[in-house]
Amino acid sequence: MNRAKIYWICQIVGWSFYAIFNLALFVLLEENPVGNEITAQLMLTGYFIISTHIYRNLIIKWGWLRILSPDLIPRIVLSIIVLSISCFVFELLISLFLDISRYDNSIVWIVSQFSAIIFMYFLWSLIYFVYHYFENYKSALKYQARINEIQLNKLKSQLNPHFIFNGLNSIRALIDENPRKAKMAVTQLSNILRNTLGMNEKKLINFSEELSTVRDYLDLENVRYEERLQTVLNIHPDSYRFYVPPLMVQTLVENGIKHGIANLVDGGILELTTEVNDGVMKIEIKNSGQYQNGPKGRKGYGIANTVQRLKLLYGDKAKFNIFNQGNEFVVTEVIIPQQAIV
Amino acid sequence: MKALIVDDERLARKELSSLLSDFKKIEVIGEAINADDAYQKVQELNPDLLFLDIQMPGKSGFDLLEMLDSVPQVIFTTAYDEYALRAFDVNALDYLLKPIQKERLKESLNKLIERQTARTQAGVAKTSHLGVTDQVFVKDGDRCWFVKLSEVRLFESEGNYIKVYFADNRPMIHKSLNALDEKLDGRSFFRASRKHIINLSWIEKIEPWFNGGLVVQLKGGQNVEVSRRQAARFKDMMSL
Repeated sequence: MNRAKIYWICQIVGWSFYAIFNLALFVLLEENPVGNEITAQLMLTGYFIISTHIYRNLIIKWGWLRILSPDLIPRIVLSIIVLSISCFVFELLISLFLDISRYDNSIVWIVSQFSAIIFMYFLWSLIYFVYHYFENYKSALKYQARINEIQLNKLKSQLNPHFIFNGLNSIRALIDENPRKAKMAVTQLSNILRNTLGMNEKKLINFSEELSTVRDYLDLENVRYEERLQTVLNIHPDSYRFYVPPLMVQTLVENGIKHGIANLVDGGILELTTEVNDGVMKIEIKNSGQYQNGPKGRKGYGIANTVQRLKLLYGDKAKFNIFNQGNEFVVTEVIIPQQAIV
Repeated sequence: MKALIVDDERLARKELSSLLSDFKKIEVIGEAINADDAYQKVQELNPDLLFLDIQMPGKSGFDLLEMLDSVPQVIFTTAYDEYALRAFDVNALDYLLKPIQKERLKESLNKLIERQTARTQAGVAKTSHLGVTDQVFVKDGDRCWFVKLSEVRLFESEGNYIKVYFADNRPMIHKSLNALDEKLDGRSFFRASRKHIINLSWIEKIEPWFNGGLVVQLKGGQNVEVSRRQAARFKDMMSL
């Protein structure tokens, strides 16, 4: 069942219950409710449904569900007061219009009616926000569980022992040949290991941080592949305003090398390009090679992970795409918005 | 021993070379940067030993071994205990993990030199033909073997493939029986018929068959028919 369906069921069942309850009270307390009183009660119920629905749309529009903290309380209280006043005015109007004599305008009557209305809006808000609070909590838990799993798998296979041990082997040879470069390579390898191990600490990191990991990674691969690997980085200056899941770009770049360039006798090119347009960032990784999907082509572990992570973080707002460009290149494309949903 | 280093990374080749410079008995006669390059250098330089990286661009180390008729001694070098290596019988395999530990390298080389010495003492001169002390690389699906030809009882042709019988295994290799027949040493192997080549040292019993043919029983109980034409040659060969 999706959320909209749950919402409408609660709305209709809840308010119908309210209407029936009130009508039953009439029957019990008064002798016989006149037709006008039933009409007034139904109109009031209709008003509740419509006003709370508008209220709900505004909650979504103003992004209150993303805050869900005590900071919201003053805003909710204010909304309840505004809604209650409008509802009370509406009730007065229909009582005048339908000329229901029972409604004398005594202070007692006004206070009791008004507080009943406040109570209804309060109850509605309580149910609505508590429900969302728990939903968010649940999805945060799901997210955490998934991240743990991803992290574990990453450590197991994506850490890529091939890369590390080959890297170490190259560094060992480099110690004789070019000690300065060897020192740099050790630092870079440490950075990558540190980033991989500390992955679960943050859901998102600034793009500049991610880029520096990617740079370290590419530098190290350059030590291994030497002239067989050419890298080009075109980074849009606005990219640094964005946040990305840690190691996401690095994983994709690594895939491009592992499945693309590493298999080519003469090596190839890897190009990392970012573009920023209308508050979304497009990250494009273009590498020599060909992407094969299907039973023979390996749908890399990295791809499945990336798609899942994007979905968890951005819902349907992020896009992932991988395709061949001509016969020589593979393009991996990720589009992410500036805001995550969780 | 003449060794050829096969690795696609320059620094890895350099590192291994420098490690090997301390071993007087090993002479690095060349380096190859991929499987095709290695194939040519093996033909040209005829090394006794290959240091072979498995993961290389284009063709893998296994592909190289499949291309070679007779494979020299092989020490695999790999960065990680790979799934691919589990295809081998553990004893049949020498591999070194990169970065290579000098001690491990020393052990592997000692084992190898021992084996090589035993082979030289057996008095086998290197010929252009494949003799019983030569080994071939056989890959069947996920499993791999280095098989000494002395262990092979029988080659049986099946379409474009040859079934290789040794111990309890009968993997297939993609070759023609005629091509193989030309390469094998005639003193050890005999073309029994259009379909079979037998290893003479595995023969247990010979019995006459119809039309002047023969049936040869191999150790392990397998019977192979020798055609009439070949039977005459066989008798010639076996008689003093």
